Amino acid sequence: MTDIEKLTDEELVEKIRSNDYNLYAVIIDRYKNKLLRYAVNIVHDDDKASHIVQDSFIKAYINLKGFNINKSFSSWIYRIVHNESINIIKKYHKEVSILDDFDFGSDENIEEDFEKKEVMFKVEKCLKEIPLLYSEPLSLYYINDKSYQEISDILRIPMGTVAVRINRAKKLMKKICQKI
Amino acid sequence: MSKDIKNITEDIMNQIEQGKIKMKPRVYFIVGSILTFIGLVSSLIVSIFLFGLIRFSLRTHGPMGEYRLDQIMSNFPWLTIVFAIVGLVLGVWLIRQYDFSYKIKTWFVVMGFILAVMVAGWVIDSVGINDTLLQRGPMRGMMSNYFNNNIQHGMGWRK
Repeated sequence: MTDIEKLTDEELVEKIRSNDYNLYAVIIDRYKNKLLRYAVNIVHDDDKASHIVQDSFIKAYINLKGFNINKSFSSWIYRIVHNESINIIKKYHKEVSILDDFDFGSDENIEEDFEKKEVMFKVEKCLKEIPLLYSEPLSLYYINDKSYQEISDILRIPMGTVAVRINRAKKLMKKICQKI
Repeated sequence: MSKDIKNITEDIMNQIEQGKIKMKPRVYFIVGSILTFIGLVSSLIVSIFLFGLIRFSLRTHGPMGEYRLDQIMSNFPWLTIVFAIVGLVLGVWLIRQYDFSYKIKTWFVVMGFILAVMVAGWVIDSVGINDTLLQRGPMRGMMSNYFNNNIQHGMGWRK
């Protein structure tokens, strides 16, 4: 592992802001697949999701000096993708179905917990059947492996609301997705 | 994997190298934060003052000191209420821009802000700041206008 790879996101951002802009490629490589997966779960369209992720990285770069280094870069970039996705949904007023054979080049660690993997599989399959209000925190929790605190920071809602929405989403999943 | 996502790093880095996308300077964000803060404080002050003014106007009474609903209604500063509400909405919107605000339920933020403004408005009117403004201060003209209009209608103010 090189020294650059050992750096945290926030340390990388600090270096990029000090004119070492080539390191932004490391940030993009760290997040592009995770963010694509997240965007697809919101807009259900791979092409739109790709554009959302690209635009989000551009916006993040432009506003990089406005990022508070004491906070999580991950939550910040996910928040940008969330905003971009919502803008796209509002623009098109409809969500297009995700392609069944869509392949994510995942560089994430494989979940060891079998139960969670099983839930994750179910979540991905029937996520598009659940309203966005509930599907988004659920996808962040099970697919993007975010904590309640991180989801609260990304969606800008209280942690209690995150817990309620995930709980309701699970109940909805049970109702709707058993039919799938 | 989507074709686009494979090239995303290359595309963005090319744009950065060619200078097509540039970071906004730090001063841009500092000025933004200062303006947001000034906007919040201004909307708070305006709302508090206007609520104080509303309470001030509710102290109107007839020539013999009696409260008359028709007088209060006809002389009530309805436009002030509109401005006070606009100030409140702006204040709540600005407060929502701060990171701490989303950790609290929206209704708590809205109700807390309205309550704080109303209590502060009541306090400044009770301690006589409105009466002081009537005689001097930047709002003298506005307060005097309101006062003179009501004097012409034979009304007074009850402390």
